[in-house]
Amino acid sequence: MTLAIEMQNLHKRFGDLHAVQGVSLTVQAGEILSLLGPNGAGKSTIISMLSGLLQPTEGDALVMGHSIRREPEAAKACLGVVPQDIALYPDLSARENLLFWGKMYGLRGAALKKRVDEVLEIIGLVDRQKGRVDKFSGGMKRRVNIAAALLHKPQVVIMDEPTVGIDPQSRRHILDNVKELNRQGMTVLYTTHYMEEAAELSDHIAIMDHGRVIAYGTHDELIRLVGEQTRIDLTLNVDAGRVLTAWQQVEGVSRASAQDGLVTVLVDDSNRVLPRLFEAATAAGARITGVDIREPNLEAVFLHLTGRALRD
Amino acid sequence: MRILDLAFKDLSQVLRDKMSLLFLIVMPVVFTFFMGLAFSGATRPTDPRLALGWANADGESRFSQQLYADLEASGSVRWVEVDPAEAEAAVRQGQVAGALVIPAGFGQAVFSPAPLQLTLIADQASTAGQSLYQIVQAAVARMFSAVEIARLDVTMLDAQNVLPDEAARAEERQAALEAALAEWTQTDRQRAWVRVESAVAQTDNGVPLGGNPFNQSSPGMLVQFAISGMIGAAGIVVQERKTRTLQRLITTAMKPWQIIAGHWLAMVTLVLGQTLLLVLFGQLVLDVNYFREPLGVLLVAVAFSLWIASMGLFIGVLAQGQEQVILFCLIAMFLFTSLGGAWFPLEVTGQVFSLIGHLTPGAWAMDGFQNILVRGLGLASVWQPVGVLVAYALLFFALAVWRFRVREA
Repeated sequence: MTLAIEMQNLHKRFGDLHAVQGVSLTVQAGEILSLLGPNGAGKSTIISMLSGLLQPTEGDALVMGHSIRREPEAAKACLGVVPQDIALYPDLSARENLLFWGKMYGLRGAALKKRVDEVLEIIGLVDRQKGRVDKFSGGMKRRVNIAAALLHKPQVVIMDEPTVGIDPQSRRHILDNVKELNRQGMTVLYTTHYMEEAAELSDHIAIMDHGRVIAYGTHDELIRLVGEQTRIDLTLNVDAGRVLTAWQQVEGVSRASAQDGLVTVLVDDSNRVLPRLFEAATAAGARITGVDIREPNLEAVFLHLTGRALRD
Repeated sequence: MRILDLAFKDLSQVLRDKMSLLFLIVMPVVFTFFMGLAFSGATRPTDPRLALGWANADGESRFSQQLYADLEASGSVRWVEVDPAEAEAAVRQGQVAGALVIPAGFGQAVFSPAPLQLTLIADQASTAGQSLYQIVQAAVARMFSAVEIARLDVTMLDAQNVLPDEAARAEERQAALEAALAEWTQTDRQRAWVRVESAVAQTDNGVPLGGNPFNQSSPGMLVQFAISGMIGAAGIVVQERKTRTLQRLITTAMKPWQIIAGHWLAMVTLVLGQTLLLVLFGQLVLDVNYFREPLGVLLVAVAFSLWIASMGLFIGVLAQGQEQVILFCLIAMFLFTSLGGAWFPLEVTGQVFSLIGHLTPGAWAMDGFQNILVRGLGLASVWQPVGVLVAYALLFFALAVWRFRVREA
């Protein structure tokens, strides 16, 4: 298969901060690859390097065979970039924004107008196309933000956390758009810290932490890393440190960690282990005030790999 | 093409903003008017020409009358009859901007090997004095060139003595014409036919501004408000950075210099439009004679606009936010307008101040306009100011692109 993106030992340093540490990943043409990780994992830095906003400190990447170092314009011409922040002119209407960005991508005349009509249809804003962007809701702005990157029918679309801070309806709309674009043949590199999105969209997922790819594979392959373990989140009426050690000794617990007053435990069989956790808590003079049982998922994978929860 | 699209988008955004129209048009017009009133002492003379004393001790000679008529026809001076013995006093008292003294016997000595020298009494440090010298010198040079031609013609006729028929006369006329044309090109226009005596007016009656106080305030405010256009140019970059659209532009296939060039083109258009509007206002409402040399005015306006846009974009690329844009631009505006002679003529400030002032582009823009408006000079006089302004524009454009590449891309 053709490689749409090939990252070759990418590094980025900001002074003492080593934000991206030797990332090598490939994205096959026509697939969706999600970069999943908490804030600060290096996802957006990778996106910025691919889209020409940052120069790699070391390494290179090829976009449709064009080096981002040696042929940045050719590489960028193959890309549609949906930035994390809304990047539109607030005093222009949705249509005016799209017409302008279309021109920046080299479209002209009737072809431009036709394409703007098409993307307005895709994002479901035909009726609001003449409204000023600064009067739009957050979700509508996000949709226009995406549309602007699709005007020139790029071979590769890079989306940097496109669903941050929007309502569920708009989020659903965006996820459906991503799947439809991919169905039409576009390659998508998608970054998120929502594991549900990565799970729903992706052909492959790269889990990142502290500037490194710590796991890569399909959703099922990654889940198998934690051995089908169940995650139990527990809240206590006392400090978690009082029971953490005791719980780590309980038979059937493979891992237990505490963060922000919440204790997360990975177990093989929740029905068997949960009563033992209650017993151990009682013995330590603590009372469990909340229990949330979750089937194996990407968050459990992250916890398994890093000892931390995948949260903001 | 993308550069044009970007420029067009910028312009459409600016022109939608009613506040920007206030700054672009209304405020400059109001300030021009009030600054003009300040220079005129609240009264505006009806005749914008420089008052030149006619101190004629030569009677009604052919040449003094010719000089009188030529200078009057220049449209830059109006004659005020003064007694030759009181010419200097008339200048000192501010009754006239200068006085031209025609010595007795001047007409008779014109064809002699050593013609008598004319004397211009004026304040050489003032704009009006310098202008009068240029105007008088040009008229006198023309007259003496004609004298040279006539003398040559007579010499040739004397040498040939007999012109037998009309064909021979025609041939002779042609030969004389060719010779006269050749002689004209060799005439020494810098020869000191006019001697200058200094006299400084001790009263302030507005005369140093070429008779029209708006000759200072109109180009002065034009320069000041054009410089304030830097805020707009710089603001575009900062606003685009804030709305993340600048970053999005970088992710397109546009090169950094193309992005800067697009914004630059928009700002050049805007500043030039504002400048030309103020030129029209000055010409049509304030009797400031920009149309004396329209091409020269246009060249200065274009060169100045190029620099403003480049400087503004450089500030925009440097600034961290809108507050810094305003701070940097205000510093630049006060520095360039005050040192550049936009608020008061540099001629009244002394040599050192004027020298320092000419390190700023504002002074060169004022020079360009004042050469035409006050000094009565022609198109050739704007080439140097235009050249300096274009050089400044190129320098700051290059700096803006360099800084943009380092910082943004």
